[in-house]
Amino acid sequence: MPRSYKPSYKTSQPNPGGWITLLIIVVAACAICWPLTSGIFNGLNNAVGGLFDSIDSTLSGPQPTLTIAVSPEKAELFTQLVNDFNAKKLKASNGEEFRIATVSLEAEEMIDAALAGDFQAMSPDSSIWLDQLDRQYQSAQNTGAGLVGQTVRYAVSPVVIAMWRDAAQRLGWPQRPIGWSDLLNEATANKDFKWSHPSTSSASGLLATLAEFYAATGKTRGLTIEDVQTPQAQTYVNALEKTVRYYGEGEASIAKNVAEQGRTYLDAFVASEQIVINANQASGVDLVAIYPNEGSLWQDHPLALLESNGLSDLQRETFSAFATYIAASEAQQAILARGYRPADLNIKIDDATSPINASNGADPAQPQTSLQVPSAAVLDVVRESWLANKRRTNVMLVVDTSGSMEGDKMENVKEALATFLDQIKSDEERVGLFEFYNDVTERVRISELKNNRSALVRAVENLDPGGNTALLDGVAAAYERLQQLNDPSRINAIVVMTDGKENASAVSLNQLVARLQNGNQHGVPVVVFAIAYGGDADMNVLESLSNATGGQTVVGSVETIRKLYKILSTYF
Amino acid sequence: MNRTRIIFFVIIAVAIAIVVIGLLARALTPAANPIAPAQSNEPIEVRVVTALPIESWVTEAANQYNSEKHTLEGRLLKVTIVPMDGLTALNRFDSAAFEKTPTAWIPDSRYLVELANAAYKERNGRDVFLTDGEYRAKPIALSLFAWGLYGTRAQALEAKFGQIDWKTIHDAATAAGGWPELGGDPAWGFFKLVVPNPRKNVGGLAAMVAAAGEYYDKPNISVEDVTNPEFQKWLKELMGSVTAISGASAYTAEDFALLGYSVGDGGQMLESDLLANMAGISNRWQDPLAVRYPKYVTWFDFPFSVWMGSETSAAEKNAALDFQKYLLSKAVQEKAVQYGLRPVNAEVVVNQGDSPFAKWAGAGVTPVVQRTSAMRSPDREVLQALLRWFDLNVAQR
Repeated sequence: MPRSYKPSYKTSQPNPGGWITLLIIVVAACAICWPLTSGIFNGLNNAVGGLFDSIDSTLSGPQPTLTIAVSPEKAELFTQLVNDFNAKKLKASNGEEFRIATVSLEAEEMIDAALAGDFQAMSPDSSIWLDQLDRQYQSAQNTGAGLVGQTVRYAVSPVVIAMWRDAAQRLGWPQRPIGWSDLLNEATANKDFKWSHPSTSSASGLLATLAEFYAATGKTRGLTIEDVQTPQAQTYVNALEKTVRYYGEGEASIAKNVAEQGRTYLDAFVASEQIVINANQASGVDLVAIYPNEGSLWQDHPLALLESNGLSDLQRETFSAFATYIAASEAQQAILARGYRPADLNIKIDDATSPINASNGADPAQPQTSLQVPSAAVLDVVRESWLANKRRTNVMLVVDTSGSMEGDKMENVKEALATFLDQIKSDEERVGLFEFYNDVTERVRISELKNNRSALVRAVENLDPGGNTALLDGVAAAYERLQQLNDPSRINAIVVMTDGKENASAVSLNQLVARLQNGNQHGVPVVVFAIAYGGDADMNVLESLSNATGGQTVVGSVETIRKLYKILSTYF
Repeated sequence: MNRTRIIFFVIIAVAIAIVVIGLLARALTPAANPIAPAQSNEPIEVRVVTALPIESWVTEAANQYNSEKHTLEGRLLKVTIVPMDGLTALNRFDSAAFEKTPTAWIPDSRYLVELANAAYKERNGRDVFLTDGEYRAKPIALSLFAWGLYGTRAQALEAKFGQIDWKTIHDAATAAGGWPELGGDPAWGFFKLVVPNPRKNVGGLAAMVAAAGEYYDKPNISVEDVTNPEFQKWLKELMGSVTAISGASAYTAEDFALLGYSVGDGGQMLESDLLANMAGISNRWQDPLAVRYPKYVTWFDFPFSVWMGSETSAAEKNAALDFQKYLLSKAVQEKAVQYGLRPVNAEVVVNQGDSPFAKWAGAGVTPVVQRTSAMRSPDREVLQALLRWFDLNVAQR
């Protein structure tokens, strides 16, 4: 008789109760031994030469003890200062090493991120933004207390009109002081005069706009909301803004283009003094800083601690240590070397070693006077009025949907295009969409966004890659459409993106370049902004198109394409 | 060996292994992760919210104090300075917005302490800062409001008006033709007054109260005075010449020095702030400041006030007193003079050696302020009326 099998659950099956008991005993043993076990990782780490730290640094960087948001135009300087500070390996009172991380953001993005608690300190280009942050915080929190805490200054720079020397001399400089009214009169009277200012999301752009409203009202102080809203002021600013060549993401970017494209790019632009100094030092251009006789404004680069509820003592200590570091002589000298005026008044800015000198187009005794900065409420109305009166845009998006765009590339472009459309706030801007592959298709006819925004969004979502790359035909079709619109009062632009080489167009590069140049002289001027997406994009073709129209070519990748489209949206 | 025994030995082995590895790790880690000291041996933290005009001096003193390793009942004392404008701190006390209650507060002026006490008394029926006894609020330094103007600008105004006072400044502020009309250089534009934003710097309120004092020619100002429409019209004209209220920082004198005559020709500021920036202004702008004293003087006395609430322990309160005594010592008071502050310790002389009072005597700085009357501390209603007026008429302009 076969032996009957009687399973013994006690021995052949896991006994949950027993394992739990075992687990409890082990945990208890560990808890008893915790003072000793807590040293295990530290001990091992030290024993192998801080391996864990180095892995951390290499892969993702050590956890910062403070994160500071910084405005883009000084990101390079600030990063240098932060790196130097981090390299000193200073320690907090609890023995932890201070480590600062930075993030570069435009003012409005910075305010939003500050309200979201993304960082603990910030250094925008002007204190104006701190005031705005506090107002938004107080409104959101329904409190009288602000978010901005201890604030220090480490560098300042006056906002000036950067002008080619010969253009300034034509206006009478330096024999007589010149200013905003001279610039604005020249821009209105001389159709060949090309000038630009950044959008009002930077201090220099805001000042330029403010100066326009002062000029419109004949005032140099006491600007009120009523002044800004008068029809005369609106008409004046509207007419002036029509003379702006195009806007841009910031003064540093404009200066870079001036350096690369030389005298033909712009006659004048609004920027901080240090941008003029750096441009003269780096590229041998001959720009002068005009300190407007009606008054200037300062970028005062505050560094502010944000007093959010979760602010730790360590973060506060890190801020304090960094504030001390950037106020010290070593950092202050580095700040001066970059063309900023250091906050340490003991450092001379007019001696032989200072870059703030006539040969770099600057004058350390200037400015003599400032425009009055109105209240935040008036500034809000100025910004809104600028948005309403800024030069409008006809922009054609021309998108490569050839086969090589399949996968992540296409998906990221779709996101980038959606961001671009989202960034263009005014429904009065006109946008159209072409795609090219074997052929060219006009996916959405150019029209004011109030008519076609949703169609554009849908069309972007449905872009489907396949086929060859008729890049030139795509640009040519978009160009023809803009010429048909025949609206020179607006900025007319093509934003073309490709990841490959031209291989399917009917028109040749030479023919198209000739057409663009001829049209820009005799028809409606159109600027081509080109995005070379990935390593296979035909840079020569793209640069030929952008150079022929005074535009620019930028290089993007799957990681940066969204940011690039976002930046380009600020040009309109 | 049955399973139970195996489990038993496994547990013992694991426990032994943990202990051995832990001991090895400690041996390999010299001084790492020392076992936390018992509670009673932890340092006593003295957290001092400090008014901005004395922040640099007090911070230096605190650093020195910490490095000297003072103790109380065997425990180390550690002073942490939290710089904060007096009005901002007052608002935080009022709204209980301090994440950690300070051990002590050094506001700009005694009247801020009185205002804080009044608010707490109304709410809790008791003072939180004492006015008598060992823990009473005690001044640790003095400074007063004085006129500071760029030399070229002061010269032009004195040539035209004879003296610098609020009336002169008002006439300059309202001159439609700007500096050419006032006898100055056309490049200077309009006259630009420097007044701190009272929402960020209590000095702004002090300046408005001082202006009211001269307007009415009396040292005590009432709510009726500051709500008088004629005075408000006069004050609005005056404030209309301030270049930047919106983006101004709490450090008005530093802004004045850093951004130069382009943002401000002059204004009434704390003497210590002016003195701290005199050398820098001369160096940067090649136009030294001229200092003049007004008829009605506003004094700041920076009272060291120990928080008497239950949020801080007796040991912390006593530790705060120890730091207060340190600040009042002769050596630290002599340091205060270097920062342009007037000492409260009678052993310390103001204008000896390399004191800024001696150095800048030529610019008009005097160790003894003559022929002046002290402005009386305004009450809460006056301050609130002025702040309301400021918000509606200047901040929103």
